[in-house]
Amino acid sequence: MSDKLKDIIKTQSEQQEPGIDHSADIVQLVGFIIGEEEYAVPILTIQEIIKPISWTRVPQTPPYVLGVFNLRGSVIPLIDLRVKFGLPPKNHNDETRFFVLKQGDEVAGFVIDRLTAAIRIKKSDIGPPPDTIASEESMIDGVGKQEGRILTILKVNKLLERDF
Amino acid sequence: MDEFQEILQDFLVESFELVEKLDEDLVELENTPEDLELLNGIFRVAHTVKGASSFLNFDVLTHLTHHMEDVLNKARHGELIITPDIMDVVLESIDLMKTLLNTIRDTSADGGVDVAACVARLDKVSGGTGEVEAVESSATPVEEAPVEEDVSSDDEPDYDNMDDADVEAEIERLLNQRQEEDKAKRAAKIAAGESVLAAPPSPTEDTPAGEPKAKPAPATPAPTPAPVAEEKPAPRAEAKAAAPAKRAPAAVEQTIRVDVKRLDHLMNLIGELVLAKNRLIKINDDVEERYEGEEFLEELNQVVSIVSLVTTDLQIAVMKTRMLPIGKVFNKFPRMIRDLTRELNKKIELEISGEETELDKSIVEEIGDPLVHIIRNSCDHGVEMPDVRAAAGKEETGTIKLKAYNEGNAIVIQIDDDGKGLDAEMLKNKSFEKGIITEKEADTMSDKEAFALIFKPGFSTAAAVTNVSGRGVGMDVVKTNIEKLNGIIDVDSEIGQGTSIKLKIPLTLAIIQALLVGVQEEYYAIPLSSVLETVRISQDEIYTVENRSVMRLREEVLSLVHIGDIFEVDRILDSSEHAYVVVLGLGAQKLGLIVDTLVGQEEIVIKSLGDYLKGIEGVAGATIRGDGGVTLIVDVVALMQMAKGVKASASNQSEAAQITNEKTSASDYKIMIVDDSKTDRMIMRKALEPMGVTLVEASDGQEALNTLKSGEHNFDAMLIDIEMPRMDGYSLASEIKKYNKYKNLPLIAVTSRTGKSDRMRGVESGMVEYITKPYSADYLASVVQRNVNFKSEFL
Repeated sequence: MSDKLKDIIKTQSEQQEPGIDHSADIVQLVGFIIGEEEYAVPILTIQEIIKPISWTRVPQTPPYVLGVFNLRGSVIPLIDLRVKFGLPPKNHNDETRFFVLKQGDEVAGFVIDRLTAAIRIKKSDIGPPPDTIASEESMIDGVGKQEGRILTILKVNKLLERDF
Repeated sequence: MDEFQEILQDFLVESFELVEKLDEDLVELENTPEDLELLNGIFRVAHTVKGASSFLNFDVLTHLTHHMEDVLNKARHGELIITPDIMDVVLESIDLMKTLLNTIRDTSADGGVDVAACVARLDKVSGGTGEVEAVESSATPVEEAPVEEDVSSDDEPDYDNMDDADVEAEIERLLNQRQEEDKAKRAAKIAAGESVLAAPPSPTEDTPAGEPKAKPAPATPAPTPAPVAEEKPAPRAEAKAAAPAKRAPAAVEQTIRVDVKRLDHLMNLIGELVLAKNRLIKINDDVEERYEGEEFLEELNQVVSIVSLVTTDLQIAVMKTRMLPIGKVFNKFPRMIRDLTRELNKKIELEISGEETELDKSIVEEIGDPLVHIIRNSCDHGVEMPDVRAAAGKEETGTIKLKAYNEGNAIVIQIDDDGKGLDAEMLKNKSFEKGIITEKEADTMSDKEAFALIFKPGFSTAAAVTNVSGRGVGMDVVKTNIEKLNGIIDVDSEIGQGTSIKLKIPLTLAIIQALLVGVQEEYYAIPLSSVLETVRISQDEIYTVENRSVMRLREEVLSLVHIGDIFEVDRILDSSEHAYVVVLGLGAQKLGLIVDTLVGQEEIVIKSLGDYLKGIEGVAGATIRGDGGVTLIVDVVALMQMAKGVKASASNQSEAAQITNEKTSASDYKIMIVDDSKTDRMIMRKALEPMGVTLVEASDGQEALNTLKSGEHNFDAMLIDIEMPRMDGYSLASEIKKYNKYKNLPLIAVTSRTGKSDRMRGVESGMVEYITKPYSADYLASVVQRNVNFKSEFL
């Protein structure tokens, strides 16, 4: 009986193995546009993506911190990535979305201009960030190349880090 | 391993509980050394801990408790009289025991703590006297013990009169007694063996100390056996009467240990429910307004009030499960006072009352340290030396009263001493010397404000820094900690009579009553506990003195600050002639906060802003309102600090942004059409299109307001229908007219309502024209042209 079980488990794990190998190579990202550029964050760091809702301004914060909003009973900070990236602020439109990113206990909402798509990209297609940017301080994790477009992959922990 | 962890957890919880009670008992024991019941209790603790720790292989802890047990056992049998010196050793060993327990909790092992010295001393106490008096003292108890047994056996007939519970309690007691005796015998054997081992170092080290102790020792046992033997029946009978009474309820009382995390989670859920309740009440109000007189309203009302009632009850019930008696904190103070009096050579008595008063667990945990600081301070600086007290005609023994009681929605902890009191002048001089206050501030300061100076950072009244206090850090930490709990400190003092410090702390941290205020388009919640009153004033009641706004409030001059200046609010709305002042009070400090509107009182659930936004000055947290929006909670303490840096911003209103765009073509004119009916919008569009103006449509008031506020277009006029869902035309018009920059925007009502009162309302809400449906296309066009000053060349 137990031998049979072992056999089954063995064949199952063998079947799964190529899958594991496969996903180890591939990174799943979600792409979005801010200004003219396309950025991406790992799909697992996204708690949810919502349409813009009203928020409350919080005083004594830098301009890119819009304030806080209510996400089903939790008070979550809202950050305008346009302003954070040095672009002029823009009124929200039909394509604007709030990206709610989560890492550990840190949660924050980020305003983006437009959502593009969920992207599967091979690890080998992701290059390091340009040398000109100091690697520790930079928000850029790497640069992905796919079908002629360039994705800037962001470090979620840096995005969620308070820097004021 | 898991099982071991579980046992270990239980062991730790039990031990900490036992030890906590131990401190109190021991100090009491020092006052009444003959109280056998007390001694037995203490012995049991040492014994229980010893047993459990040996089972769990904590050898160091076992070793220590074993020797404690020896000493206590001797004392229990009257072989040892508990003198303050012996008590010092016992207390020291209990401290060590606590340290060991803490170590075990943190590392699951009891290494790293050196108990050898303490064990040697314990041994000396039990063994040292034992050496000199070994034969006599060990003989007496043997003789005495049977006497005791006899005494207790005399009580036997009483068993018939006992009920089941009592009998059981009695059996348990006897069993315990028997076990203890057995153990004591065993312990005595071991102690005898060990004291031989430990004896050699003691004479060499402590002969001078040991000898004087040994001398009174033979004297004391001699008189004691007689009175003790006689006295014993009395306390025993008392103890017996008390014991069943104490134990009986224990059998009935049913408790469950619950992980605090679960309670926290429950409290969070209740918080959500309170928010939902607030929202329901708001919706109910809206529905009531709209469907006045409908039958189902009453039913809805009933449901809403039941839900709100039950929610409140539920909230209280859950809050109560988190409540702990403050006695848990108070317990450690008798011991502390005792140690301090010996250290400082003062005579101080501590009176505790209201220890059964209950507080939220999180507050009980936070309140301990501030209280320690305050009581240490009272002992060190407050109560004088005995000779000074005697010279001043007071009793040599000073008294510190520690009491707790409920007052409204808060609990008050009061610490009174009858020491030398605070000298306001001295405090002022000292603060001035240290640069904490200016000379001018010192002159205008009231006594009460001067007392509050002791909480300033860097302030210390002790001339000499002692081990106890006087490093000048204590009291300002107290203040910060209490304020973190939303609490208030009040100091009162009279020179020569003593000082009274009152801490007023809210019952719970999670849900508070707040006053909601509005400034421009924003709302803020102010904890009601710091609001003294609100007053409505007109702008000309505000005076400017030395660049600061002030007002006269009855006999006082109150300094003012506009909430907008503190929270960097843009003045986009027209400020009205009248303003409201919320008078905030924090201890002796007062401040008037100018706000635009008062919204009302509401129960709010405090939520943290999260790590990303924590520590923002002036903001204590956030709450979610009935409409789902987030409202920030004002940190009154920080606000008072910030107010000092704000200069008077006389009612300087931002200049209305002029919309003077040069029109170069007809399409430069922008007109918004607001109507919920698509057909009506179409008709208007058809009428205005021939002019060539740009038209923007909105299907209700809310949408129109949003479009207007987004600033994408600069409108020259708006055509507004009156009856619309979400926000009707009148409300829209009054909303728009609140903004300075839209003061001159022509609003034209287009409606089928023709009544005179409708027209009046239109005018009141700021409409300039009133067009009734149906209308001719030409008429509409001409009215629009007139209102936007349409240039004739574009026609």
